Amino acid sequence: MIFGCYQHGLDQMTDMKQQTTNTVEEPLDLIRLSLDERIYVKMRNDRELRGRLHAYDQHLNMILGDVEETVTTIEIDEETYEEIYKSTKRNIPMLFVRGDGVVLVAPPLRVG
Amino acid sequence: EPQHLGPAVCSPRRRRGARVPRGRGGSGRGRVPRAGPGPLQELQPVGERRTMEISHSVKERTIAENSLVILLQGIHGHVTTVDLRDESTALGRITNVDAFMNIRLAEVTFTDRQGRVSQLDDLFVTGRNVRYVHIPDEVDIKATVEKQLQLIHKVRYFGGRDKGRKEFPTARHK
Repeated sequence: MIFGCYQHGLDQMTDMKQQTTNTVEEPLDLIRLSLDERIYVKMRNDRELRGRLHAYDQHLNMILGDVEETVTTIEIDEETYEEIYKSTKRNIPMLFVRGDGVVLVAPPLRVG
Repeated sequence: EPQHLGPAVCSPRRRRGARVPRGRGGSGRGRVPRAGPGPLQELQPVGERRTMEISHSVKERTIAENSLVILLQGIHGHVTTVDLRDESTALGRITNVDAFMNIRLAEVTFTDRQGRVSQLDDLFVTGRNVRYVHIPDEVDIKATVEKQLQLIHKVRYFGGRDKGRKEFPTARHK
């Protein structure tokens, strides 16, 4: 499922005039290159999403498929005062993400 | 121009007060005009899925047409979960989504941040407070977006080429 960039209206999806440019001219075009690929999205409030990018728009509203959301919390141990990182994951088959929560979009990180 | 309501408001069961009465869902402004003579389409009862209502505002139509909000407008009538910014969730049937992503839901199971569950007849969530919207499996995204776009184009070109006030008067292409 490839939908393309929404900056110039959704007309290209419905086969009306408007060509999508193939050159990379601005940062959003880099996201266009990741359409239908798995991506990593860092969001506000210590959240991360990994999923397949189906669509996006100029606000970075996105539609992600087969997405895994990771919420990371830091707990401080009362006695040793060390920071314990805890993460909660959940899986969602198809998710619409509102753009104002998105911090960055990248190819999936390789766990090193 | 439709006025936008304030912050997210919950309406507990049986205490409607000044809430919009059932059967209207605050979308009286959203009906698609039918071509030709005849009255505007009657509002269908709230129990059934209503038809997609295109906003009467040019500004809202343009914003919707140029962003992914149009998909949310298309899943109107489906039961979905909306995750809010403050970690609460609302599971209910979507009755209206406007261009600013303000979402109105009916028959909602609302789980707040602390995990307390409540049942609400009607819930309005401000666009800013939406974090995620779960898209139901049965929704075909491409077809839904195309259908919504078609509805907008139908409204825009209502009356035919030589009739009616045009949305983009000097447009030289469709």
